[in-house]
Amino acid sequence: MALYEIKNLNFTYPDTERPAIQNLNFSIEPGEFVVICGKSGCGKTTLLRHFKTVLSPYGKREGEILFEGEKLEEVSVRRQSAQIGYVLQSPDNQIVTDKVWHELAFGVENLGYDQQTIRLRVAEMASFFGIQNWFDKNVEELSGGQKQLLNLASVMAMQPKVLVLDEPTSQLDPIAAGEFLSTIRKINLDLGVTVILIEHRLEEVFPMADQVLVLEEGKQIYFDTPRMVGKDLADNDLFLAMPSPVQIYNGTGQEGVCPLTVCEGRNWLEQHYGSCKNMQHRECFRHRKQERDYVVEAKEVWFRYEKDGRDIVKDLSLQVPKGELFCILGGNGTGKSTTLSLLSGIHRPYRGKILLKGKEIRKIRDKELFHRFLGVLPQNPQTLFVGNTVEEDLWEMFSERSPIRRKEDREKIEKVVGDTQIGHLLHMHPYDLSGGEQQRAALAKVLLLEPEILLLDEPTKGLDGFYKSRLAEIFQKLKEQGITIVMVSHDIEFCAAYGDTCAMFFDGGIVTACAAKEFFTGNSFYTTAANRMARQIFPDAVTVKDVIEACQRSRQPE
Amino acid sequence: MRQDTFSTFHPVNNFLYFVLVIGCSMFLMHPVFLGLSCLGGMAYYIYLKHWKALKTALWLMLPVFLISAAVNPLFNHQGITLILYLKNGNPLTLESILYGLAAGVMLVSVLNWFSCYQVVMTSDKFIYLFGKAIPAVSLILSMVLRFVPRFKNQIEKISDSQKCIGRDVTNGNVLARAKHGMKILSVMTTWALENSVETADSMKSRGYGLRGRNNFSIYRFDTRDKLFLGILLLLGGNIFAGILTKRVHFLYYPMLRMNTNTLWAMLVYVCYGILCFLPIIIDVTEDIKWHYMKSKI
Repeated sequence: MALYEIKNLNFTYPDTERPAIQNLNFSIEPGEFVVICGKSGCGKTTLLRHFKTVLSPYGKREGEILFEGEKLEEVSVRRQSAQIGYVLQSPDNQIVTDKVWHELAFGVENLGYDQQTIRLRVAEMASFFGIQNWFDKNVEELSGGQKQLLNLASVMAMQPKVLVLDEPTSQLDPIAAGEFLSTIRKINLDLGVTVILIEHRLEEVFPMADQVLVLEEGKQIYFDTPRMVGKDLADNDLFLAMPSPVQIYNGTGQEGVCPLTVCEGRNWLEQHYGSCKNMQHRECFRHRKQERDYVVEAKEVWFRYEKDGRDIVKDLSLQVPKGELFCILGGNGTGKSTTLSLLSGIHRPYRGKILLKGKEIRKIRDKELFHRFLGVLPQNPQTLFVGNTVEEDLWEMFSERSPIRRKEDREKIEKVVGDTQIGHLLHMHPYDLSGGEQQRAALAKVLLLEPEILLLDEPTKGLDGFYKSRLAEIFQKLKEQGITIVMVSHDIEFCAAYGDTCAMFFDGGIVTACAAKEFFTGNSFYTTAANRMARQIFPDAVTVKDVIEACQRSRQPE
Repeated sequence: MRQDTFSTFHPVNNFLYFVLVIGCSMFLMHPVFLGLSCLGGMAYYIYLKHWKALKTALWLMLPVFLISAAVNPLFNHQGITLILYLKNGNPLTLESILYGLAAGVMLVSVLNWFSCYQVVMTSDKFIYLFGKAIPAVSLILSMVLRFVPRFKNQIEKISDSQKCIGRDVTNGNVLARAKHGMKILSVMTTWALENSVETADSMKSRGYGLRGRNNFSIYRFDTRDKLFLGILLLLGGNIFAGILTKRVHFLYYPMLRMNTNTLWAMLVYVCYGILCFLPIIIDVTEDIKWHYMKSKI
């Protein structure tokens, strides 16, 4: 018997004409790993919330959902609470109590088990997830990845039959996200728990999935195995979100079986293009000495937060030429964000110099610094908003000078709104926007300062492929206006595709900095999936596009 | 804080102990009791906090003691042993000086015991104790304890972000600063409400609101705890018996009078001494035990 059966499901939110989801028909068997993907706003979350009655949104619903053959509404709340486990997006918001052990026990407490059973369940879960070392801690002391793992463990303590996850890794860094996803995989394989997952990091989950459900504007366009979906999706917008091997496979004319992982991709490439190796290889040289106009310069900068503390930034030197997109890549906790705060003058180095446009930063007054000079986009764009609508928030940037809305200000706002493509969002509350929309609205706000230098902290965090390419368009436009962009990121694929110069940050300093292409061809692990897949045959190809072009070129003479 | 064995006892024991010892220290002005309580409290606080305890002693306890010792004779003129007349004609008596000193010692020891209480009775122990009586309260307390640091954290983040666009409370003139501060506070309200929706979803989804919720705790009342409670009751009973039967008493006014040193009185003193030094005794025995075990390995 199927675990879930969805029959002709339609759903419309109140006060809207267009249904949020239409005509869904599929069934999920016990033990399956199902990935749901689609653009933001295609009804993924709406669908996911229908899998549990207490979370179902208000609105007009048609069709039925069967849970183990019974109508979902008729399954008791107690059974639903225990057997259908939910993990939501934000690691922080889901945690209810202040202690790790209390949070673990929260769900089981609600089910009303006796002390002995709760103790056993908690102990089991803590051991399975390796939580025992931070069992006594306050929740506040945990990292984002640990918090999300705790949420998962707390749900698992209730021994659910199915786990429903709504973009659980969107707020995590790649390493924590990878760990989280492999834990989900382990739960699926070792415990036989069914998994239904929304995720935009398809590179990792695509190979894990048994079934993939693709939604577009509320309609189900595919429900099939990943290999078939990878093959069929070739001419869809969503194609951008597919893993690199799938994109390359489709871009070169779909020969053989569709590869899903880098390893499969390597073998596939060897099989079909093995004969056309071209082994030119470029090395990553340090910046050749050239007289260029450097906008941001750091010279042997050292920084620590406390006098007795560890050095966070050590002997950091960097030079950013005017009008470039400069990417600083590196692992977690290596001091990237701290470096950004040094460049923006929030913190001061105890040794070394930071020059912005040739002027030392501590000699620049606040007023100058934040007017037509420097703009900073923090990691969480939400923290920039203070107004009730996006428009109000944009006007707020001028409120200092005069309360009257002047004509030239209006023009400025219109230009920025056009640049960042947020015209349709002006009347919404900033907190109601999706991650990508918030990012752009915040960027608009910063751009009103008319900065020449833009510092961005992980601007692609939590964005899907579609929003990322939009962000890249905006960056391109800004660069054309002569704005220099320095961004800190984990996102290798994005930096490879759009960055001008990439710098590897490690242990408080920059190890190498060179043009994006040279940078990635020089690395063997810290590089794009496409490069890792193709490096024995086309060592110069960094992005998916490069690999596809190289493949096509190698075929032409034949 | 070093590993403190007394803290590992059941919260009921921890709490009862502090109630008993702080109550006694507050109301028993017998000099022997005062001395024992003061020494016991101070020793335990030093054991818990090391040299940091001396710092508090110097900056907080000493001034409290001096002020209390000085103020009493200036305003209280009871007692029959006259030393001299003050300028305004009021008498300065030996009894009032001694009472002032005693009150100073009392305040210092109570302060010490409360400091120890704060270290030993962590929030989760407190929640556990009072949550038993009203389960909903314990969950609310726990949620509050989760919320407060989060709120503070978010304010810092927003403040940092606003600084980046020159709109923090540290930017601009006084008026602008106040305005920026208000804006940040108002957006914090939105933030808190916004996030609580998801928290509520997470609670609902995990079955909050079902009948028959059970409170889980990580504490167990074991044999060691039963033994401790027994000793505590024995000591407390003895002390109260001694006081109620007036075998131990002390009068400051109108003249100093103390009980005679009978065997009974001695026994009560010993009991009180053990009570005040109980945490230290437990900790030190444990330390010695460890030392012994280590040398055997």
